[in-house]
Amino acid sequence: MNSKFIFRSILAVAVVTAASCKPELKTITPSKGSADFTRYIAVGNSLTSGFADGGLYLEGQQNAFPLMIGTQMQTVGGGTFSMPFFNANQADGSGYKKLSSFTATGDPVIVDVPAQAAIGTANVPGFGTVPLFTKYAGDLNNYGVPGIRLNNITLTYYGNLNPYFERLLPNTSPANTTSYLSFVNAKPFTFFSMWLGNNDVLGYATGGAAVAADFPTDKALFTQLYNLAASTMIKGGAGGTGAKGVVATIPDVLSTPYFTTVTLKALLTAVQASAPTVQAIFIQPGTGAPRPATAEDYFLLPLKAANLIGKPNGAGLPYGLHPGNPVESKYVLDKAEAAVVADYTNSYNATIKSVAAANGLALVDANALLKVYGAGKVVNGAAVSGAYITGNLFSLDGIHLTPFGYAIVANEFIKSINSQYGSSIPTVDVTKYRGVKFP
Amino acid sequence: MKKILLSFLLAVPILGYSQSYQVNLQGQKQTAMGGAGTGVALDEAAVFFNPGAVSFLKKNGVQAGGSAIFLKAAFKENGSNITEYTKDKLTVPPAAYAVFGNPNNRLRFGLGVYVPFGGAVHWDPNWTGKYTVTSLDLQAIFVQPTLSYKITDHIGIGAGFVYSNGKVDLKRGIPLTLNDGTSATAQLKGHSHDFGWNAGIYVETISGVTIGVTHRSQVTAQVKDGDAIFKVPQALQDGFPTKFNANLPLPATSSIGLGFYPSSKTIIAVDANWVHWSKYKVLAFDYNNNSRIPNTSSPRNYHDGGAVRVGIQNMATERLALRLGAAYAFTPVGKGYVTPEVPDANRILLSAGLGYKASERFSIDLSFLYENIKSRNETNIETNLSGDFKTVAYIPGIALSYKW
Repeated sequence: MNSKFIFRSILAVAVVTAASCKPELKTITPSKGSADFTRYIAVGNSLTSGFADGGLYLEGQQNAFPLMIGTQMQTVGGGTFSMPFFNANQADGSGYKKLSSFTATGDPVIVDVPAQAAIGTANVPGFGTVPLFTKYAGDLNNYGVPGIRLNNITLTYYGNLNPYFERLLPNTSPANTTSYLSFVNAKPFTFFSMWLGNNDVLGYATGGAAVAADFPTDKALFTQLYNLAASTMIKGGAGGTGAKGVVATIPDVLSTPYFTTVTLKALLTAVQASAPTVQAIFIQPGTGAPRPATAEDYFLLPLKAANLIGKPNGAGLPYGLHPGNPVESKYVLDKAEAAVVADYTNSYNATIKSVAAANGLALVDANALLKVYGAGKVVNGAAVSGAYITGNLFSLDGIHLTPFGYAIVANEFIKSINSQYGSSIPTVDVTKYRGVKFP
Repeated sequence: MKKILLSFLLAVPILGYSQSYQVNLQGQKQTAMGGAGTGVALDEAAVFFNPGAVSFLKKNGVQAGGSAIFLKAAFKENGSNITEYTKDKLTVPPAAYAVFGNPNNRLRFGLGVYVPFGGAVHWDPNWTGKYTVTSLDLQAIFVQPTLSYKITDHIGIGAGFVYSNGKVDLKRGIPLTLNDGTSATAQLKGHSHDFGWNAGIYVETISGVTIGVTHRSQVTAQVKDGDAIFKVPQALQDGFPTKFNANLPLPATSSIGLGFYPSSKTIIAVDANWVHWSKYKVLAFDYNNNSRIPNTSSPRNYHDGGAVRVGIQNMATERLALRLGAAYAFTPVGKGYVTPEVPDANRILLSAGLGYKASERFSIDLSFLYENIKSRNETNIETNLSGDFKTVAYIPGIALSYKW
């Protein structure tokens, strides 16, 4: 042991430390795999558009999941992803719902923020009056149109009926003649996401199955149209040389807060506080006479805000507490109707899965995904569940997602794309996105 | 020389060092020697390293010093391409000792002030793991009056009473969105006053090898009525707590150390520690208002940490001492329990230092410790935070001493 050795060793320690000043972590090598993200387009409905809190508004658009994906794709050769944003001075867009306070009993008080982008109406012969929004004429990658059903995508007059579609089209309603499927395929693209079919069953469910026109799209028609949509999209649009893509299943709408927040038990408990003898809530089912509700019937979220239970009608019968004044059909999805929703959802999802497999497309099982998160899961230390307002997953309309929820969806799309095409699109940091805003 | 250096590196995996929020910077000489010091009577820091060796110190003295911890931790969420780093946050745990009494008597007295537990980890307030923790500042200052007694000319025993003054300040995000779109936050801060002890035996064997055995007791830092500061949406504020109670174990450490003296100028110290981390089962917070949030109990389930270290001191000249050390550590944190407030893993330590005797009475000691905490891919079982952790630390230190 001599001093020279120790002295040299001190130098050696200094060299070792100097060589590793900051901790380094292996990063993934960016790769597009077998896909090409040069022009990614998003095809779909409200979920694709960024719709939340019962409306389409700028902040929701800024948190649209395809925008998250498109931004992440830029690390693996993706191009610019353009959104049809509302103008900053019309940021409230179609208007939306906002949580303003809580009542003394802890019930949320939700108010409507008025529309800013509604600029008038148009009369569509044979259909009626439709609202008009300020048009968007710039580059477009997100083609999400709130409200669109799969069985709308080939209709040439649909652009005149849906103001969210109309604002993307060149002509003012009722002068549009381009179908949705033609519109999205008018320019070449290399990659697409397609999340369609939700509205083919959603309207029936959210309307309490009270409107005949809302009945789910015929299953065979759904299969035919989904095949058409997929086989069209993989061609990559007019002038394109083929595209790869990702599709998603339809979530189980019955497990969203829109259907799970107002329960028979909660209604009875509230009524019994002042009328302890009440044992039943009477509903008007889709068919047959009014009857007491069971735990298998779903009450819809708007029933709470309507605040009708117990209110006497002209004959003095309390609303919902007497067979002569039952809870209206539009507030109830009865057991039989719920079975229809489940049946059609399952059928559509079987179609989506088989078409995805047949066309070699990546698949996101959004149905399974939202079931898992809806049941309760901790994400990076944050509790997420399907609970209304407090669950961080669903926005104030009880059906569409919060930015946090959309970020979870974006990551699921990214993982599915990476797994199908061997790419390495980085995921987004979900904790950068918010849940429901509290007052 | 290369051979010796190589043998050090090869020896590394079987060595150990304590972990997590335990701090092992109680003496500059010992720090420069890989943290070993239980089996040698080096200086006044023996009050901490082995109270039994205090009575073997040839002179009385006082010393005071500190080490500056530059710690950088990195995290990359699985699937992400972004590496996030902790912010630069310098902590300087001090250590000061006094040894007095007649060196010719069997009974000697000591006083130590040191920081055996602490940490300062500050992530960006908006980082990926913000709902698990955004910052943790933890410090327990121990004050230890000590008695050391030579039973025979070759056996000494000693014991100290420990008073611990602790403080904790923990911040994290709460997954509730304020009206401005940012997330709510919680801050938990409090103080603790607790007690423990430190005892040791020191033996000089006939062969010349010295042996030390010590035990430092567990101190349970108990925070009562700490401040729970929840910055949450105004509409929910009433349901959130304002006070909290929590207990954090500062675990016991049992050590055995050996000292070898191959020449009159050279000391080799080898230590083995056993840190009783298995007492750290949960990190629990009890709140004074549970209408919005329940009491929390986060599983930690640490297992014990084993430890061995080795160091060498050589007097290059009459005035200059050179020191070198190395260690390797096995983490007490099991798979699934790694948290970003203490992103612990097995670690390699390399140290070096020098001491300069300016006069018969004054001397100065410098040390430099490098800790390389291995990278670890973990998914926490409670928070599901999933990704790679990697930490390194650079710890220069200095101490001044005066002997008489």
